[in-house]
Amino acid sequence: MIDKPNLEVEIAGIKLKNPVMTASGTFGYGEEFSAFIDLDKLGAMVLKGIYLKPKMGNPPPRVIETPSGMLNAIGLQNVGVEVLIKEKLPYLKKFNTPVIINISGDTIEEYVELARRLGEVSKEMGVAGLEVNISCPNVKKGGMVWGTDAKVTYRIVNSIRKATSLPLIVKLTPNVTDINIIAQAAEEAGADALSLINTLVGMAVDIDSRKPKLANVSGGLSGPAVKPVALWLVWQVFQTVKIPIIGIGGIIKIEDALEFIIAGAQAIEIGTANFVNPNVTIEIIEEIEKYLIEKNIKDINELVGSMKI
Amino acid sequence: MSAILNIKVKILSKKEVAPNIHLIRLDAPAIAQDTLPGQFIHIRCSQNYHPLLRRPISIYRIDKEKGEIYILFQVVGEGTKLLSQRAVGDNLDILGPIGNGFNIYPKSKKIMIVGGGIGVAPLLALCEESIRQEKEVRVLIGALKKELVIEEENFRNLGAKVDVATDDGSYQYKGLVTDLLERAVKGGWLADQIFACGPKPMLKKINEIALQANINCQVSLEERMACGIGACLGCVCKIKTKDKKEDKVKYEYKRVCVDGPIFEGSEVVWDD
Repeated sequence: MIDKPNLEVEIAGIKLKNPVMTASGTFGYGEEFSAFIDLDKLGAMVLKGIYLKPKMGNPPPRVIETPSGMLNAIGLQNVGVEVLIKEKLPYLKKFNTPVIINISGDTIEEYVELARRLGEVSKEMGVAGLEVNISCPNVKKGGMVWGTDAKVTYRIVNSIRKATSLPLIVKLTPNVTDINIIAQAAEEAGADALSLINTLVGMAVDIDSRKPKLANVSGGLSGPAVKPVALWLVWQVFQTVKIPIIGIGGIIKIEDALEFIIAGAQAIEIGTANFVNPNVTIEIIEEIEKYLIEKNIKDINELVGSMKI
Repeated sequence: MSAILNIKVKILSKKEVAPNIHLIRLDAPAIAQDTLPGQFIHIRCSQNYHPLLRRPISIYRIDKEKGEIYILFQVVGEGTKLLSQRAVGDNLDILGPIGNGFNIYPKSKKIMIVGGGIGVAPLLALCEESIRQEKEVRVLIGALKKELVIEEENFRNLGAKVDVATDDGSYQYKGLVTDLLERAVKGGWLADQIFACGPKPMLKKINEIALQANINCQVSLEERMACGIGACLGCVCKIKTKDKKEDKVKYEYKRVCVDGPIFEGSEVVWDD
């Protein structure tokens, strides 16, 4: 029997004390959850998506529950990078948990400038890496438009790569014909890791008013409903690229997390489940440790991509 | 504002007070002392993940002495139906108390409280607190019909003067509750503050009446909500921003959960 299994993993050169991260957009800027959990216990925090300038986001209603999931169309409302640096990051400095900034832009130049600015302050403000959002379905410019075209994906990731030495995680959309082509383009362009999946595009209709339930008409589907899709895509990308993968999609309990890890994810991000149970990340970390002890597995890394076909 | 807690609270009693409208009493000593009128709790209605999200429910009464809170809600879907079926003795997983609460000005002497339909839910605690602060309180309640007038005697028992409007005229005044408000204002009963909760068209009308009469008006808003703790930015409403020189935007989306649910009526962008 082992009493202290290794939970440490390495993603894009960032050392995580365990493989449990938070998914962008579901964890605010971290502080919102500090009343409920010890942020020091997390593998890493991925913050709410940020732009160079503040963004208002979409009109309400922005969220609607669906069977085993929810649709959202927040539209990347955010405070802009300067407020992030001045008002949000200082609070997180006291924690010994890597902070990863999810970045977005309307143009390639904006992504590049944002990456450069965050690179500039990374040491002082404790920025461990960037997650490049080329997969948001709820904004007109940028977002998913970038991530559905392999050439554009290459260009944007390559441009950011040249602008910063920070570890780059590229977040992929599932709304494509062949995710492998996009994954390869990101890898060739210099991504250090991939995270997948972002939300699936969906819609809900109010039958009385005959209006869409979201003001934006479409939204991104998340929650347990998307987990099988996410698992399948992680498994495919795992067989295609050499860089590490972060699995995302409907993880709400330890079994979900383990499924992703076995299918090839080096780490996982927990999203929608944070809304239901603000303590879910910590519970899953503790249960993973328990599971490894029970199964006499010395190192979580042994499980990564261990699926038997 | 005190911190939001994630705790389990026991159901002490429950009652269907009107068709599809339920009152539940909760043993909640951890939050009862710090809960303000107008705040809400975010409840996991089921014991599994179906339905997935929590439901935001208004706090109806706060009993600080006994450490209890009451919630009042209407069954409108899957989540509230499950909540209504939870048994006495069950533990509910809640987040709370959440939100800013109503702001009763110390200098206010006369308070007008207006509730439409299930919108009375956060108003009884407000009425109780206003009377504790020795304000003169009038309450106007609007409902579709007599059987949906919710617990009006509770307001009266606290010492408020209560008038009721029903859409079909089956009880007291036939018409809208906003007609009653207009009559009161025209009749010379000028409140220092108006507090309201109910359907958006009602709130919009009340705000217009308040603006005309130059009365401070605070409204309790609702919106589809996910996290309830200010993280997801799902439950926003459009709010006019105060003057900032460098800020070109004239309004912004604020979170109903933690920036509200109470907003100044004059700040809300009503037509959008």
